[in-house]
Amino acid sequence: MKVELTINRRKGIFEVEPNELLINLLREKIRLTGTKYGCGIGMCGACTVLLDGEPVLACLTLAVDADGGEVETIEGVAREGKLDDLQEAFLEEGAVQCGYCTPGFIMTAKALLNENPSPSEDEIRGYLKGNYCRCTGYVNIIKAVQRAAEKRKRIGKQEI
Amino acid sequence: MADHNSFHFLGKKTIRKDGLAKVLGAEKYASDLSIPGMLYARVLKSPFPRARVKSIDVSKSEGMGAVVITFIEMPRIRFCPRLVSTPEATYKDWRVLSGNPLYVGEPIAAVASESEEDAQRALEAIEVDFEVLEPYMNALDSLKGGEGLLHENVVFNEKEIQVENNIACRLEITEGDVQKGFSESDVVIEREFRTNRRYHNQLENKSVLVSPEVDGGVSLWSTSQTIHNTRLLLHEIFGIPVSKIRVHKAALGGSFGSSIQTNTIVPIAVALALKARRPIKLSYTREEDMRDHSSYQMIFRMKLGAKKDGKLQAGELNMIMDIGAHQVQAYPLLGCVVGWWVSLYKLPNLRYVGKAVYTNKVPSCALRGYGNPQTTWATESMMDELAEALGMDPLDLRLKNYIGKGDLFWGQGPTVKSIINSCGVEEILRRGAELIGWENRPKPFAQRGRFRRGIGLGRGYHTSSAGSPIPGTVIDYTGAILKVNEDGTLDYITAMMDQGGGTLDAHAKIISEEIGVPVDNVNVVVADTQTTVYDVNTHASRGVYAGGGVALMVARQVKAKILEFAGRALEAYPHALKIRPDEELGQAVIYAEGLTSKQITLGELASMARVKNWGTIAAVESLRPGSCPPHFTGYFIEVEVDTETGKVKPLKVVAGADIGTVINPDLAAGQIHGGFAMGWSMAILEDTPYSESGDLLNQGMMTDYKTPTTLDLPKLDDFKVFFVETYEPSGPFGAKGIGEGALNPVAGAVANAIYNALGIRFYVLPMTPNMILKALKDRERIK
Repeated sequence: MKVELTINRRKGIFEVEPNELLINLLREKIRLTGTKYGCGIGMCGACTVLLDGEPVLACLTLAVDADGGEVETIEGVAREGKLDDLQEAFLEEGAVQCGYCTPGFIMTAKALLNENPSPSEDEIRGYLKGNYCRCTGYVNIIKAVQRAAEKRKRIGKQEI
Repeated sequence: MADHNSFHFLGKKTIRKDGLAKVLGAEKYASDLSIPGMLYARVLKSPFPRARVKSIDVSKSEGMGAVVITFIEMPRIRFCPRLVSTPEATYKDWRVLSGNPLYVGEPIAAVASESEEDAQRALEAIEVDFEVLEPYMNALDSLKGGEGLLHENVVFNEKEIQVENNIACRLEITEGDVQKGFSESDVVIEREFRTNRRYHNQLENKSVLVSPEVDGGVSLWSTSQTIHNTRLLLHEIFGIPVSKIRVHKAALGGSFGSSIQTNTIVPIAVALALKARRPIKLSYTREEDMRDHSSYQMIFRMKLGAKKDGKLQAGELNMIMDIGAHQVQAYPLLGCVVGWWVSLYKLPNLRYVGKAVYTNKVPSCALRGYGNPQTTWATESMMDELAEALGMDPLDLRLKNYIGKGDLFWGQGPTVKSIINSCGVEEILRRGAELIGWENRPKPFAQRGRFRRGIGLGRGYHTSSAGSPIPGTVIDYTGAILKVNEDGTLDYITAMMDQGGGTLDAHAKIISEEIGVPVDNVNVVVADTQTTVYDVNTHASRGVYAGGGVALMVARQVKAKILEFAGRALEAYPHALKIRPDEELGQAVIYAEGLTSKQITLGELASMARVKNWGTIAAVESLRPGSCPPHFTGYFIEVEVDTETGKVKPLKVVAGADIGTVINPDLAAGQIHGGFAMGWSMAILEDTPYSESGDLLNQGMMTDYKTPTTLDLPKLDDFKVFFVETYEPSGPFGAKGIGEGALNPVAGAVANAIYNALGIRFYVLPMTPNMILKALKDRERIK
C-alpha cells in the first residue's frame, strides 16, 4: 500500500504493508533511528513521535493510520541547525544520561509545552508519566522541562 | 591535598560530550546500526524451563531460504560469558546454543533471513521434539536434588568438576571465634531475609550487528560494557585469532550490569555470520530480553551480637542464592557478599557460609551493586532491630561500629583487601539527620489513623574499582591513549564505556585540568579493540576512579612533552613554562610568565612539531589500581503508608555522599537521583515471579514489570542531595566512584522508614501493598 506522509516537514510517498507499524517505517525504511523501540506494547514511551502535533506511540500506530498526516520525530526538532529550547534545557540540566529515553521525552515534553506553556511540576509529572527512564529518577528531566518553559516565557516565544 | 577552589574544570558543570547527539536523536546504539546486505536474525528459544531436545528438523526453514544454525553444529566448548575473574575463580557452564535447555528462553537454534519477518517465519518452521523434564523453580528444592542434577559437571580452572546437590559453588570464611563473640554479647538477634529477583529493565534491549570480514575475522557492534572481553570470549569460542576480531564501541542504552558479560545473542550472531558470510543483525524484543538476564535472588540468615554499649561482637551470615540456570559470576559474588557485609561494620568475630544454587530460571548477573543492595538491605534492617533491642538511637549504633578511615576493607571479597584513606561517613550521617529532622521522627507504634509517616536511615558504600595491592582473583586494570592534534585539540582513546553517568566526561575534565586545555578541546574518540589498549570492564563503579586515574597518567606525560616542545619553540626552559586554557583563542596557550613574546598556542606548537619533524605529542599508559576505595552514601527517607491500600509513598529524601572530589556535579547528583529511583523500586515494586509452567508470570511484558514513573517519586523540593568534602589520595585529583553506592542503602532505608511508620518489620522484598495489608491485618488479629 502507498501512504503519503510529511515527515519532519518533507513530503514523501512510502510503500508499506497493511500491518506495518509507524516505528518500523521510520527506523527501518527511512533510517530515522532517533525514535527508539523499548517495549513494543506502549508502556515505555521511547517511540513517542508527534502526529499532526499530538504525541503518539509509533510502536502502536500503523503506518497506514498516519496516511496524509504530518509526522515529527526527534530528528525534526532542531531547526536550521539550532537546537530547540527543550533540547538545550535537557543538556543544561544534565537530564541526559544513557540517552535512550531522551527522544521520547523531548517529543512528549514538546507536546506538553505546546498545550500548556507554563505547566506546574505536577502537570509536568502527569504529562510525562508514560515515558520511562531508568537512569535519572526523572529529577533533571522535570527541571529541564521547567527550564525550557521559563526560557520561552522570558523571550516571549510561542509554540513552534 | 589540592585546593578545591583552585580547580579550573573539576566540579564545574559542563555539557556532556555525547549530549548533543543524544538530544538530536543522532546517537547510534547497537540496535540503530545497519550494514548494506545484512540479514536479520531471530533466535529459537526453549518454551520449557527444563527439557532435552530429542530431535530438531530445520529442513523447512532452510527450504524457505533461511540460514539456520542449531546446537548440534556449535563448537563443543563450554564457556563463561564474563571474563573478569582469573581462571581459578571462573566456572564455565554455557554453550552458544543448547540441546538441554535449562530455562524458558534458553537459545536452541537461530535463523537469518532477508527481513525480520522472513526470519520469524523461518523460525516458526523449525520442528523440535522435546523431552520435557521436571524443573527446579526454587533454590531450596534444587538443593534437595530430587529431580537430578541440572549440570552433571562444569569446567572449573580448565578442568571438568562434578556438581553436587545443584550447588554451583560455595564459600566459607571464619575469622576469630563467633561462639565466643556471641556468648560475650549482651544482645543477640537472628533473622531471615529473602530478596526479590529483579530485572534490569534497561531501556535498550540487547542487540548486536556482526560483519564477517574477508580475512576470516569479524567486526561487531554490541550492547557491551567491555569490548576487549567480548573479543577474547569470541576467540575462545570460535578460535578466530584475537587480532581478527574487531569489536567497536556503540552507545549503551542503559545496562546496569547486564552487559558485564558478553550477552547471549553475541556468539549466536557471530555463528550465523560465519555460516552465512553476510552481516547479521540480531536484536532482542523486550519479551526476549526479560528472559535473558536477571538479578541474584538471595536468602540470608543473619545473626549479630553486641555489648550493651552497642559495640558489635560477632556476626554470622548464611546465604543461599538462586543463580538461575548458568553461572555468570556466582563464585566471585560469594566472595563479594561476605565482603559487602563485613566492610559495613566492624565484626571482631565472623562466620560466613555462602552457597550458589542452580535453578531453572533466567540466569542471574550483576544488577547495579552486585549483591551489595541485597546485603546492605538485610544488614541495615538488622542494625535498626539491634538498636531497638539495645535501646539506642540507630544513628549512634552506626557511628559506633562503621568501618572508616584507617580500617581494613574488603568490599570486593577476601582476595581484594586494602586500607581506607578517605571517609565522610560521620558527616553524611550528621548532616543528613539534621536535614530530615531525625530527632523529631515518629515513634513506632505511636501512630493511629489511615496515613502513617515514618523516617528511616540506611547507609552503605560501594568500592571504586576492584583494585588491591596484590593480584587476587579479580582482573582490574585499564588503559588510555592521548595525542595532540595539529589544531591544538587532543584525542583521548579509551576502551571504557559511558553507561550514562558521564564517566568519559569526567576523564576529559581530568585531562583538561592536568594539562590546562579547554574541555571542548578533548575529543573522546569512539574506538574499538584494535585502536584501544585493554580495559577490563566499565563496572564496579570504577569509571571515574580507575579510568580517570589512567587518563591523568597520560595527561601528565603529554603535558611534559608539550612543555619540552614548547621549550624548544620558545627558546625557554620547559620547567619554567606554564599552560593556560585561553577562552578567547579556544586553545591552550603555553607561555613564560611575564614575557609576552614567549607564548605559543598548542595548535601552533603541534604544527611546528610537524614541520620541524619533532614528532607527535602522545602517550599510552596502563593502570592497575592499588586499592578500591569505598565511596560512602547515606539515605534518610520519609515515607507515608496508606493503611487502607497498603501503598507506600516517598515523601522526602535526603541523600548524602562522599565521592571524594566531585568532578561532574550535576551528573554525580544524577547518579543519586537514579540510584534512589532504582532502590525505591527494589524495595517496593520489582520482582519476577514464575508461573506454574516455569515461565515468567509477566511473560516478559513491561506492563507487568513495574518500575517508577514520574508520579511515583518525590517532588523536586523534597529530594535533597549533598556531597561531603573528602579527598581520596589514590584517586585522580582525589576522586572516587558513585554509580553503585548511589543505590546500595536505599532499600534498607525504606524498610526502616516503613517500620518507623507501622511498627512492622518486613523480611521479604518487594514490600508490596498486599504484604503490608496482610501484616496490618495479622497484627489486628493478634490484638
